[in-house]
Amino acid sequence: MSDEHAGHHNVNYSIIFGFLCFCTLMSFAFDKMGIENKIVLIILVMGVAVAKAMFVLTYFMHLKFEGNWKFVLLAPTCALALGLPLALLPDIGVHYYTQDVPQIHDAVTAHGEEADEKPKTPEKTH
Amino acid sequence: MSHESPAPALKMGLPIPNSKLGMWLFLGTEIMFFTAFIGAYLVLRIGSPGWPTKVEDTHIVVEAGAINTFVLILSSYFVVVAHEAMGAKNFQKAWKFLAFTFGLSCLFLGIKSYEYYGKISHDILPSHIAENDEQAINKVTREMEDVVNAEMARLGMEGKALEDKRTALQAAIGEQKGGKLSQLQALAAFDSEFVELSRHARDNVALSIPSAEFESQRKALTPGDKLQPLTLHGVEEYLKKLRADKQFAGLFSEVHDPHPVPYGNLFASTYFLMTGFHALHVIIGMILFGMVLMQGSKLDAGWSDWIENSGLYWHFVDLVWIFLFPLLYIV
Repeated sequence: MSDEHAGHHNVNYSIIFGFLCFCTLMSFAFDKMGIENKIVLIILVMGVAVAKAMFVLTYFMHLKFEGNWKFVLLAPTCALALGLPLALLPDIGVHYYTQDVPQIHDAVTAHGEEADEKPKTPEKTH
Repeated sequence: MSHESPAPALKMGLPIPNSKLGMWLFLGTEIMFFTAFIGAYLVLRIGSPGWPTKVEDTHIVVEAGAINTFVLILSSYFVVVAHEAMGAKNFQKAWKFLAFTFGLSCLFLGIKSYEYYGKISHDILPSHIAENDEQAINKVTREMEDVVNAEMARLGMEGKALEDKRTALQAAIGEQKGGKLSQLQALAAFDSEFVELSRHARDNVALSIPSAEFESQRKALTPGDKLQPLTLHGVEEYLKKLRADKQFAGLFSEVHDPHPVPYGNLFASTYFLMTGFHALHVIIGMILFGMVLMQGSKLDAGWSDWIENSGLYWHFVDLVWIFLFPLLYIV
């Protein structure tokens, strides 16, 4: 199996390596460009990261040349991996109440921040 | 009795070696392991009203992260080349490229250590970071107290409580002539400054009012009024003055500038959790490759599966870093 995998894929790994280096340079350049819009920056750098990851998985890890067992093995893993973030997201990531912590009190005192960062007693909806 | 030849034995399982299946199953658990950390980081970051991103707060060196990304990508490429060389029965070439990979993993850890050193020297550590002005002032007083305790112990002041050491220090100053006298006097002066600052911090009174006058000035206030409060800026100026004083040279090396970083502890916890476990995986990969390198000229085709599986593991380590780099260094 090893011999089969090592010799018969006709992949030019140097090109894949070059592409990965180019992507890393792009990520670095996005950082140095000083993009003000955080959402745009996140989309750009994470898009580059996903592209790099796909190339590593497809060619370096040979998933392109593996059978369909890869989907059976990786799909449940990925579903379970998403479980924790999704479970925590409603109450910690996008909570319906305003947090009441000393950092916010201090920020309000120092900079007079308003709106959603203004500390207030957590509101109960239930 | 049938004369037909028996049917060939049914091949069960997946068309890959058991070791490779085992490695993929292990990588499945690894995906869940790291996505738990990365997911928790994302959720906490999204849920926090603030997050430290300025270089002066995080001491993140983007250049170091980018170089480490390149180092890992290059090492992944070398692993693939080594694997191909094993397939072509060119064991010497395979050994050489695995040695390069091993060297690159050392370089990765060296750069990571340099980054960790920067964080540790600035006290960017979980639970060490002051998140508001009050915590920053308290941290400075604690650090000054630690210096006083350590210096008194170093200069031979005996006693369990700080007060006993102070008595011993005064006695030692009275007995000394020359030699250590200037050191002892400097320490006593530093201790007085620490006591003064801690009294201001405790009572939240501005440094412009000497602590000895707290009571008299409070009595002079009209009911409802308070003494002018202590501010971070006031403490910064006070420390600047003390640092410039030559007699305190060296005593301030362990005292950090008061610098509140809101959500800094959460940042430090998630940063060290993710990069620490990633570095641990790099070390495990080095052990896997090290075992092959130890074969030297005895390396043969029997190690092909080992190299292929170690390679899969190493690519996964690279894959994790591909996501950690933008998440921790850029975004």
